This record gives sequence, C-alpha cells and structure tokens, in this order.
Amino acid sequence: MISEFLIKQIESVAGRYPHRGSALLPALDMVQRENGNSLTKEDIACVASLVGVSPSKAYGVASYYTMYNKEKVGKYHLQIDTNIPATLMGAGVILKHLEKKLHIKPGQTTADGLFTLDEVEDLGSCGTCPVMQVNDVYYENLTIEKVDEIIESLKKGIMPPRWDNSHFASQCNILLKNRADASCRMITQYQQKGGYKAFAKAQAMQPSEILELVKYAIVRGRGGAGFPAGMKWSFLPQNNKGPVYLICNADEGEPGTFKDRQIMEYDPHLLIEGILIAAKAIHAKKAFIYIRGEFRWISEILDKAISEAREAGFLSECDIIVHRGEGSYECGEETALIESLEGKRGCPRLKPPFPAVKGLYGCPTIVNNVETLACLPFVLEHGAEEFRKIGVVGNAGPKIFGVSGHVNNPGVYEYPLGTPLKKILEAAGGVKGNFKAVIVGGLSTPILTAKEAETLNMDYDACLKAGTMLGSGGIMVINDTVAIPPIALRTIEFYAHESCGQCTPCREGSVAIKTLIKGLIKGHGTKEDIDKILELCNTIMGTTLCPTGDAFSMPIRAMVQKFRAEFEALVR
Amino acid sequence: MKVFINGKECEAKQGQTVLQAARDNGVYIPSLCYHPKTGPAGKCRVCVVEVEGMRGLQTSCTVPVKENMKITTNSETVRKAQRLVVDLLLSSGKHDCLACEQNGACELQDAAYMLGIEHPTFSLADTKTDIDDSAEFVYREHAKCIQCGRCIAGCNTTVVNEVLDFGMRGHDTKVICDIDLPMGKSSCVQCGECSQLCPTGSIIDKKTRGKGRHWQFKTVNTTCAYCGVGCQLTLHVDQAANKIVQVTGREVVPNDGMLCVKGRYAYEFPSSENRLKYPMIKKNGEHVRVSWEEALDYTASRIKEIVEKNGPDVFSAFGSGRITNENNYAIQKFTRAVVGTNNVDHCART
Repeated sequence: MISEFLIKQIESVAGRYPHRGSALLPALDMVQRENGNSLTKEDIACVASLVGVSPSKAYGVASYYTMYNKEKVGKYHLQIDTNIPATLMGAGVILKHLEKKLHIKPGQTTADGLFTLDEVEDLGSCGTCPVMQVNDVYYENLTIEKVDEIIESLKKGIMPPRWDNSHFASQCNILLKNRADASCRMITQYQQKGGYKAFAKAQAMQPSEILELVKYAIVRGRGGAGFPAGMKWSFLPQNNKGPVYLICNADEGEPGTFKDRQIMEYDPHLLIEGILIAAKAIHAKKAFIYIRGEFRWISEILDKAISEAREAGFLSECDIIVHRGEGSYECGEETALIESLEGKRGCPRLKPPFPAVKGLYGCPTIVNNVETLACLPFVLEHGAEEFRKIGVVGNAGPKIFGVSGHVNNPGVYEYPLGTPLKKILEAAGGVKGNFKAVIVGGLSTPILTAKEAETLNMDYDACLKAGTMLGSGGIMVINDTVAIPPIALRTIEFYAHESCGQCTPCREGSVAIKTLIKGLIKGHGTKEDIDKILELCNTIMGTTLCPTGDAFSMPIRAMVQKFRAEFEALVR
Repeated sequence: MKVFINGKECEAKQGQTVLQAARDNGVYIPSLCYHPKTGPAGKCRVCVVEVEGMRGLQTSCTVPVKENMKITTNSETVRKAQRLVVDLLLSSGKHDCLACEQNGACELQDAAYMLGIEHPTFSLADTKTDIDDSAEFVYREHAKCIQCGRCIAGCNTTVVNEVLDFGMRGHDTKVICDIDLPMGKSSCVQCGECSQLCPTGSIIDKKTRGKGRHWQFKTVNTTCAYCGVGCQLTLHVDQAANKIVQVTGREVVPNDGMLCVKGRYAYEFPSSENRLKYPMIKKNGEHVRVSWEEALDYTASRIKEIVEKNGPDVFSAFGSGRITNENNYAIQKFTRAVVGTNNVDHCART
C-alpha cells in the first residue's frame, strides 16, 4: 500500500513537470523504495491512478525498465556487470566466486533473504571493472578479496563506503580540469577557480550571438553522432511562441563509455554552466538532465549543485530538473529519451518530425550530450578561435576518451580530437599482452584489428575513413587471450536484451543473430550459418526504425568479417 | 499530382502517403502495422520501398507523396528486406495457417504468400504457448502476435477504453490488459475493436472459432438493430445452417468499424425460437396468429374507442432504444398529434 506521506511526495514530484505523466517513472521508483525494493501489481495500479494514466500504461512502463523489480529481491541486490569491458576485465571470475560463496545462481535469492544475485548489462563503469552495484552503491575495481570483505560487511548489516581509485589524466585541462579536486563540487570553490564567468559573459550576449559563436566553433556532439551542436540549435523553428526545452543527455549507456559521469560527479557546475549557456542560446526556460538511474549518487550530487546554483541566482531564467532513467540502453536515443521523460516506455519515435521541431510534450526540444554542453563554458570564455585551435578544424576541441579492457591503466583521458590512438593507449599504461583488436567508439562501432588501429587518429572523420566511428570515444582494447566469437555473442546478447521491441528487424533480428552465434559456439553451427549472420546484418542495416539495428549489425558484421577464421574454426 | 510507381505514371493526392497512393493505384505493398484507422506506425518495417533521392529504404506508410516522386516497390533490395521481416515474424511465432482461424483473412499470410516464403528460416518461437481464454467473447493467442500495435492503438485512441498496452520489451514484448491480467479479469468491456483490427489470428472472436472458413460465409451489410445510433455492420452468415456466425463493424459512418459488445457479439436473437415473427391477437385467452391488416385495424379501433370514452390521457406510448430515431419520432408524433397526449416514454430512459 502507498502511505499518505508518499502520496504527498508523489504529488510534489508531479508538480515539478509541465505534464504530470512525467512523474510516472519517479513515482514507481519511490513506491518501490518504500515497499522493500520491489513493486507489486497492486502498487503499479495505485501509482497509475495517482499519476493519472491507465493501469496498462503503468505496467507497460514498469515491465519495460530493468530497475523496477517485479519480483521480490533480497535486502542486498548484488548486480554484476558482465558486458564486454567487464568480461575482458574479469567479471566472470567475480560472478563465479559469488555464486560459489552464496550458493545461488544469477536471478536467485539466498534462503535467508539477504542477497539477490543478478547479472546486469553495462553499468557505465567500464574503466573500473569488475564492478558490482549493491542496491544504490557502486563497488569498482573489484578483486576476490574485496568481494569477500563487502559480503562479510553486508552480513553484519553495514554497507561499506564506496571508493574511487580510477585512473585519469588530462592534456587539455578543460573537461577534466577539476577531476582531482572533489571540492569543486561546491559552487564557492568552482567560482573561485573562475567558474560561471562564461555564463556571465553569455548573459550579456544576444541568444543569436551565442548560437553563431558555438556554430563557428563547431562543437560536434560528443554523445556519438558527432553532429554540430550549433547547427542542431539552428533547426529550432523561428517565431516559436510556445516553450522550448533543453535536455541534457546523461544516459551514458553505450558499453565502453564512462566519460559523462566524470564531469557530473567531479565538476557538476561545469555542466550546469554549459546548460545555462545553451538554454540562453535557444530560449529554453526549463532544462532537464536525463541521467541513467544507476548513477543515483551522481544525480544527488547534481541536485545539490543545482540548488546551490539556484541560491546563487543563476537559475533565474532557466530551471533545471534532474530526471532519472530506470534501466534502458535505448533511452540514450534522443526520441526514446523524450518518450521516457514523458513517462512512457523507451521506444524511439518516427523521424521526422525531429525533436528540434516537435520534441518533449510536442514542443521544440534540443537534446545535447553532457560532454558537448560541458565544452560550452570554454567556448564562451576563450572564444571559438581558441576552441578550434584544439585538435583539427571540423574535429575541434577536447574529448574524453574512456579506455577499458586489456590496458594497464584503464581510465579516462582527455585529449584533443585527432590525437593518435597510440598516444591515448600509452597514456592508459599501454596494452596488456599482445594487442589483437580494439573497439574505439563504444560497442556499437565496428571493431578494428590491431593492424588497422596502428595509425588511427581519434577524430570523427579519421575514424570514418578507417571503417569505424569515433562514437562516444569508449575505447575497448582486446588482447590475444580472448576469442572473438564469445565477444560477438555477448555483444548481440546485450542488444537483444536492450531492443525496445518496437520494430521487427531489431526485435527478432537480434535474437536470430544471437541464436546463430550461440549455435556456432555450442558446436552445432554450419558454414552457412556464418553467411546467414552476415546476410542478417546486411539486411537489418538501414531497415530499422531507429539506429539500434545499425548499432548491432555493424559491429557483428565487422567481427565476423575480420575474424571469420575464428568463427569457421567452430564449425565441426 | 503525378508520381511514378515502378516506372508507371500514377495519380496521387496531396497529403497521401506512398502506401496509400500505391494502394489506390492497385500496387500491392505488403504492410502489417498500418491500418487506415490507427494510422502510420512505421514499426513492422514490411512496407519498405525505395524512393529516388532518399537514402536507404523508406517505410511507405510514413512517407508523404511529392510531385513526380519516383517510387520502387519491387527491386531486389526492397524484396530482400521485406522477405527478411516477414521471415523473422513467421520464425518468432506459432503461425500454423492450417489450424488458424484467420486462414484466408490474414495479412501476414498474404505478405508471406506474395513474397514466396514457404517456411520460416529461423526458429525463434518460445516453446510455451500463451493463450488467454478468460474473456467471454475475445480469444487471444500471444504466439500469433506480431507486435504491430494496432489493437493497442484501437483500444487507446479509437474506442478510448485504455485497457491494452505493450508490456515487457524486446523479444518478450506482449500485449497486456491492465496490470497484465487475463482479459476476462481486466476492465475490458469486450467491444472487440482489437479483434477487428488484428492483422493475424492473435486476437479473434471466440464464438466464431471452429464455425467455418471465412470464404464459406455469406456477408450481408446491415444496420445494427440494438439502438438508434445506426452502426453499420456486416453479418457473416453460415447459409447452410442459416445462422449468423460473426459480426464485424463496417469502417463507414457513423461507427467507423467500432461496435459495442451487444452489436458485435449478441447476434443470436434473429434465430431465437422465442422471437416474435408475426402479429398475434389474444382470442379466448390465447394468442392467435392474424394478418397485419386485422392486427392494425383492431389496434386502431380499440385506441379510438378507449380514447373517445376516457380522454387521451389514458393513452401512453412506449418507444424503444432498439428502434431507429425515425421510428421513435413517428411514435411521439402519433401520440401527440393523433391521440393528443404527451404520455410518451421509452425503455432506455433510466
């Protein structure tokens, strides 16, 4: 049952949104927390009537997002990320150890009701794998000993504090300039270091001037597509009388990617300043930060920073609301994100109309990635020319590269766009073992062999020329201890799990590919099956409603084509 | 306006989609999630075509026609994509046409036939069958669902009952009622709109199951006799048995295919044994069959007699919600103008 107190809280959350339907996801989360970390059907129906949607819509939402537990879970929900970077970095060992220690398999709960073990998809913690999420807390860089310590502590009812011992370095000192100094989370410290000066400058400018400046700087979208932010803004309809919304995409779900969290966790005001600059340029009076729900502690850091900024009077013209996702990769796609923010299942919309014309609540909306927005204070403060000087023109500015997999110091490294991959890998302590292959832009980009990657420069155009994509800059290094077919299987398992299920080629095609690769690995595949996989990839590409079809058919095709011998060796 | 479909000049109307223009010109493009009533969804991806000047394949249900647009619906690229989509759909469900109620009236079957797919290539279907037989009139079989969403669009935007929606996600996506209840336990009022919109045999009319093949029935268009709205419907008649076996709504005014539970499913009354089929007059304590002339003359003379003796207010007319507005109008007119009283009432007043 839902308490009177909670009903009041849900009402107050609903009041923050222009449309109360948006409160569905947060309301379900609040009820789940109050009721022992799981949702009953009756709770879902109750929430539906409180928010004012049909019961089927609420259940459709609750069953879509993975963070809602429709079945009872233990007091401590142990969630092990086993996606590609995690697998490369030993998550399998950790999972096996936990299974043995707790005598349960993934999906099961211990008899005493203390622990539920689950295997989950990418937690956005690729540089610090293996990682385990216990309820809301991330435990990173795990070893067997650390796992034992955590379990012993939990048995005593004590949540151990989380630690941060990740690697990072910055050549540009723009996006990660405050990474080492957690005190910059406080507005006073941030301002002391010159923060909010760029916003003050923007305040004195006309929106059109800011737009022109950003357009001239060519700030390409750091989320993955590389579309210039200024140009995106210029698609907003002229003479629009209604509201315009700005959404900061902080969903960070692409496996291999863990860059946005570095900005949000260590330099939240940098993002807020970027948001305020963009909001001014596009006349937005309300901005949302859509952050993946697993990053709960980061969302709290943001909430705190926003209230500081509000107190300082910076939000007088544009308010910022932090909205948490509830577990869906698909919501990183901008129209799926908008649907999710409206309180719906994360299914992408048909385009056109594009969000700039018809987005959130049917109003013109701009969706920009965290890193993109965090570039803006530099552009305002130092000018577009200075920004263009970093990297190469057309591929300008700083970029945070997340390096994971088989390197000695996995972590985040801020370099100018166009920096040789070799240099970034060196910064990450070099490849561990014999360099076999690398995925340079997040899991949805085609894999490169070590040879192909040798002279690669890390910018949008150079990557495209090399037959892959810069994407989110999530670099996953693979050495020769690992075979490609299991990597391909784990990749397609991820996409099959995350497909929203809306369109046929993605929903069923991903499962078809998964079945074929599994068959090959189990030893009952044929050579024709390998061709069938390629055929599926080729036909699915460009046939789906949103880019997710391409996101799995491109990398799978590259894995099969470039490492075909390894797949053929599985045919008996 | 002028468009070119497969090189042939065709006439198209402003505001039409490529799919609509092709259909109007007799060009078949297989499509599953599109229905004129629920609109373009762009989800099944079966209706893809090539349009000159546009990159990659386009869903014809979502692309509006433009003057001189050059559309290709039958290239190998198009056919390959269409075949894959239909193949995947056939592979992921239990589409056994032999036993299926919708055999011969199934859009998935039509698409497979047109594309020449005999057997599905993959086996992706779940082994467990998921049948919902809980509701009184609507029968659901998830294994035949292709997730086109037409039933959901119909339930939420056409009849606005808001019972159905999608639950789960990915391959596990399914149509749910309320909080994933069996339909019979849900808030569904059994209007049957979902059944009418379903392109396959996933949602069907329970009472029609096993009553015969679609092509065996004679169809008769008529007006619903239940109330004065005048919903247009089609009776599907088993002529040998002289029985109505199914009723579907016609997609014309005033109901655009929608029907209520009575109009769609309570169709047995025409063949009821107790039905009044001719006029009768009670003679010597027993109802006796008489001619219409005798019945009308007798009634008219008795009304006249009684009203002359006791005044018009002893007369009262009782209309019905099951007759037309015109009938009810005539009844009140007769009562007021001929008899001279305002005593008019009808059965649906409460």
